[in-house]
Amino acid sequence: MGRAIVITSGKGGVGKTTTTANLGAALAQLGHSVVLVDADIGLRNLDVVMGLENRIVYHVVDAIRGKCTLQKALIKDRRMDNLWLLPASQTDDKDAVSPEEMRSLIFELKATHDFVLIDCPAGIEQGFKNAIAGADEAVVVATPEVSSIRDADRVVGLLAAADIPSRLIVNRISAHLVKRGDMLSQADVIEILALEMLGAIPLDDQVIATTNKGVPAVLENKCVAAKEFIRIAKKLAGHEVEDEAVGFFTRIGRALGLAATPA
Amino acid sequence: MDSSNALQMIDPPPPIVVEDNRPAAILRGTSRGLEVFVNAGAAIDAILAAWVKRLDEAPGFFRGSDVRVRVEDGPLAAGCLARLDEIATRYDLRIIEVSAAKRDSDAVPQPSLAAGSAPSPATPPSLSFDEEPTGSASIAHLVAPPDATLVDTVLHDEPAMLADSELTDLLEILDEPVAPGMTFDEPTQTAVPLSLAATAEVEIETTSGTRLVVGPVRSGVILEHAGHLIVFGDVNPGAEIRAEGNIVVLGRLRGTAHAGIGQEVGFILALRLEPQQLRIGRKVARAADSDTPASEAEIASCTGDAIVVERYQGKLPRNLASSI
Repeated sequence: MGRAIVITSGKGGVGKTTTTANLGAALAQLGHSVVLVDADIGLRNLDVVMGLENRIVYHVVDAIRGKCTLQKALIKDRRMDNLWLLPASQTDDKDAVSPEEMRSLIFELKATHDFVLIDCPAGIEQGFKNAIAGADEAVVVATPEVSSIRDADRVVGLLAAADIPSRLIVNRISAHLVKRGDMLSQADVIEILALEMLGAIPLDDQVIATTNKGVPAVLENKCVAAKEFIRIAKKLAGHEVEDEAVGFFTRIGRALGLAATPA
Repeated sequence: MDSSNALQMIDPPPPIVVEDNRPAAILRGTSRGLEVFVNAGAAIDAILAAWVKRLDEAPGFFRGSDVRVRVEDGPLAAGCLARLDEIATRYDLRIIEVSAAKRDSDAVPQPSLAAGSAPSPATPPSLSFDEEPTGSASIAHLVAPPDATLVDTVLHDEPAMLADSELTDLLEILDEPVAPGMTFDEPTQTAVPLSLAATAEVEIETTSGTRLVVGPVRSGVILEHAGHLIVFGDVNPGAEIRAEGNIVVLGRLRGTAHAGIGQEVGFILALRLEPQQLRIGRKVARAADSDTPASEAEIASCTGDAIVVERYQGKLPRNLASSI
């Protein structure tokens, strides 16, 4: 039986979809069988980030409504055989699916895959409730901005109320800005959210470039952000993770200091 | 909402309503049981007449019930209480508590009856009491305190304008009274069921009870307690903790805290006092815009005109011991 992990944040635009795509690709590279579920019904874009947009025939709502089998709705990644995408519907809205239906869908996917990564929509309404319904654990993505942290805090509370343990990824952190005192450090973020930290993704132009090409950064090149995604994926999968150069953000987090410079 | 068929229990009291059009007395079934809301602004006779009128409409129905008297816009005129008690005895009712009304807060409308409530600006949306079996069921489970004596509590004063007071380094006092919407009266709005459901059942008199909460209290959570409240951990921005007693935060207080609800005296103690807003009793203070993070434990207290913040030096400031 696989694990279902929801990637959520509360606030929009902090990098949930990018994180989902990259963690999924990294986990698949590690040899796990992975399915990515786009739970943002009505505003799908995980397929775009994965570059699989033009292969969609059926989507998650079709699978739930029984218009097709679940297997038919899954799109195999064009680069890897063990990475799949279950796209969202573009025409329905969040109410098209109930949490119970999502729960049984995720359960079914868990039976055949090692990891089910659920890309949660922004907000805490119906779409959020659907997305977390079948999840065993959560990854909360926050950027080092007060608004993002406030929303993440709220979401962590809701996840705790639903008995879903959560861990944190700080996204788009700039060591340069932190050093200048113009950006919250991940230590600040951890202090408020009081969560175990999986990692911190540095602000990296390469991520934007690859995302627009429809290729997850981890498959394209070995930029700093990609290395950190791979490290987080290893941590998620339970591999031993050395605190290598790419792990310096985590080390800083542990030391609660800001002294380190980029590797 | 059309409420022609009722639930405004009594007709507006005929002769002597002083400052508003509120009825002098309203009888209601609420989550606490049977309650009489008394408008202290009205004349004694009007209050008594309104109540008697209501009781006369169904003399048998209320017989043997326990009644709580809620005084709105207190204090009650001298002698009024005794005459209320007299009437209660006449109708075989027992007054088990007298307290200042917490407008709105008592209203935990039951969904099935919610349509029957008749909200008006002055009288909060509440489950009005009608002679229906459902209504009687709601009193059936009301447990009277073992010692059902007359409990006399301090009544609220009219909301006074806050006196001008010196700015502390952390806080500045807003020179306006707490707006009605900012008081403790609103029902708890939270998506996180942090065992808050129980708070509605907490009796006013149990202020001695202290509630311990393990933090962090996260954004969007509202914690309420009728006694003292101690939080082990942080209170994050966007969270709100409210207590009728005092509040101690063994961590960072970065949200909003309201202590001493319904009292005049109270304090909020935190290892790091960096709140969005502090409220003690009817006083409000907010962090100054040029706020520096606290570096040691501080205590915010109110014994009179203003909220004062000072370093916590291992003991309570003068005059505060009585609030425990």
